[in-house]
Amino acid sequence: MNEAVAVDQIDWSVGIPMTAGPYFVGLYQPSPETAGFWEGVTAGEIRLKECKSCGRLWHPKRIVCTHCSSTDMGWKKAAGTGEVYSFSEVHRTPSPVFEASAPYTVGVVRLDEGVHLFTRFVCEPGSLQIGTRVGAEFKRMESGQLMPVFVAGGR
Amino acid sequence: MAASMASSIGSKIAIVGIGRAMAHRSDAERKTPLQLGAAAAVDAMRQAGIERRDVGALFTGRTPQSYMVLQYNQSLMNELKIGPTFCSEMTAHGAGALGGLQMAALALEAGIIDHALVVTNEASGIWMDQVGSNASWEGDLQFEAGYGATTPALYAQFACRYMHEYGITPQMCARSAVENRRWALDHPHAAMRNKGAITVDDVMSSRMIASPLRLLDCAVWYPGGIATAMVLARAQTAKDHHEEATYISGFGQCSTHEWVGERMGSSGYEPIGDEPDLINTGASVSAKQAYEMSGLGADDVDIVQTSAPFSFANLMMLEELGFCGRGEAGEFVESGGVDYDGGLPFNTNGGYLSFGQVAQGLYNLTETIDQLWGRAEGRQVDAPKIGLVHGHGGVLACHAVVIVSREQLH
Repeated sequence: MNEAVAVDQIDWSVGIPMTAGPYFVGLYQPSPETAGFWEGVTAGEIRLKECKSCGRLWHPKRIVCTHCSSTDMGWKKAAGTGEVYSFSEVHRTPSPVFEASAPYTVGVVRLDEGVHLFTRFVCEPGSLQIGTRVGAEFKRMESGQLMPVFVAGGR
Repeated sequence: MAASMASSIGSKIAIVGIGRAMAHRSDAERKTPLQLGAAAAVDAMRQAGIERRDVGALFTGRTPQSYMVLQYNQSLMNELKIGPTFCSEMTAHGAGALGGLQMAALALEAGIIDHALVVTNEASGIWMDQVGSNASWEGDLQFEAGYGATTPALYAQFACRYMHEYGITPQMCARSAVENRRWALDHPHAAMRNKGAITVDDVMSSRMIASPLRLLDCAVWYPGGIATAMVLARAQTAKDHHEEATYISGFGQCSTHEWVGERMGSSGYEPIGDEPDLINTGASVSAKQAYEMSGLGADDVDIVQTSAPFSFANLMMLEELGFCGRGEAGEFVESGGVDYDGGLPFNTNGGYLSFGQVAQGLYNLTETIDQLWGRAEGRQVDAPKIGLVHGHGGVLACHAVVIVSREQLH
């Protein structure tokens, strides 16, 4: 996804080839069950799946509420704040386009709503710890994809 | 219910023929996984003394990374021109390799076939940039790959939590890498056999890949291809096929997630409790099933192979498979628990770290069987009777355990 594409212009049924520099790394496939998340990213929001039956919040991919078994899912805006659950500083990158950014930190953020997301942490190298408070921002990644990142000490 | 059903099958099924094929990146003629798989299959059938028409079932692991076709089992079936009445891929990432044995054992025990052929084959070390390609396969393409996550960086999430919650240190993990390397020096086909012994300091000073994982904490991709085929039959006919038939005394399997990020949305079932975490995996469930089926415990196991692709996973799996308590693997390893000299024989081919990872396969099982029958030249363990083999795939997502024995146990 090297070009900025408005979410409402994406053909969800086809997906978008995702490249990192000259390397094809796969098919980035937003689909009806995740479209709301990416619309939220375009609007500068983190949106989570919300079970319309029991009110539980889930990862944006979730189709089934495994708490009450409902498949009636909607979207709910999250505060965009949380803490570092786990992290790793990446030195060996998956493809050349990420090299200029290395080392960079990827990991799992535990949002204050209790949902965990894989993400990029924006921080000084070596500064991050489990439990560090972070806040969401939105950034076009080296792969071309506009994605949420979490900034240490933010918000 | 699963346990009682399972216990009736322990030791009822045997591996009665093993076929192998290997290729190396430096070979003048590069071989495909299908070529290797077919050669191994023919070899296994010959070893077991069966003909094409005798193969009642064919199970393969998932399609090889360097031979991506849908329904790989059909490609192999077609090549061998066999007419199985039960034929499938066992697609549980790397756990599917051992999982194929489970399918075979169940079909044999049910009496719907008399001989099963199980085949795994990979040659990705010959044909692919595995570092780049795996980064895009192990990570969710929407939610993970775009961040520049690599396979080590995804596993590192487990390492980060595991070390945090149990006080495991990088030095403790490094010690297991040192012992893995020692074993590899004695194996004629290990990727690192000519690279010499390493020390904890060597591991700790190797370059950082994805913290806390350094280069020597990581598996080396096998610079070639390996295919393994096995013929399975019911125990009562085992010795008719092969004098060195090896019995499957127990097996188990458990899958918990597909992607690391979304795993944290799982809860409420074993081994993921009410609060999801990154420190408990399906390996413990697989091992428990296999132990119950075999009537054995970890104390009865003479030799262990795991599919740990990183040094921390060596420690994590020692706990999950029951060889030490939760959080105790660091002390266990540092006090010589898996030492080449005098410890539990552990990853005796060098493991993924120093034998090399062939993406997936049954080569850890063949290592165990070679040891049980005294065929492990130069690295032979003293008369092992019971071996445990762990396979896994995804990012600690799918696990399988098989316990094999030289004699029929019951």
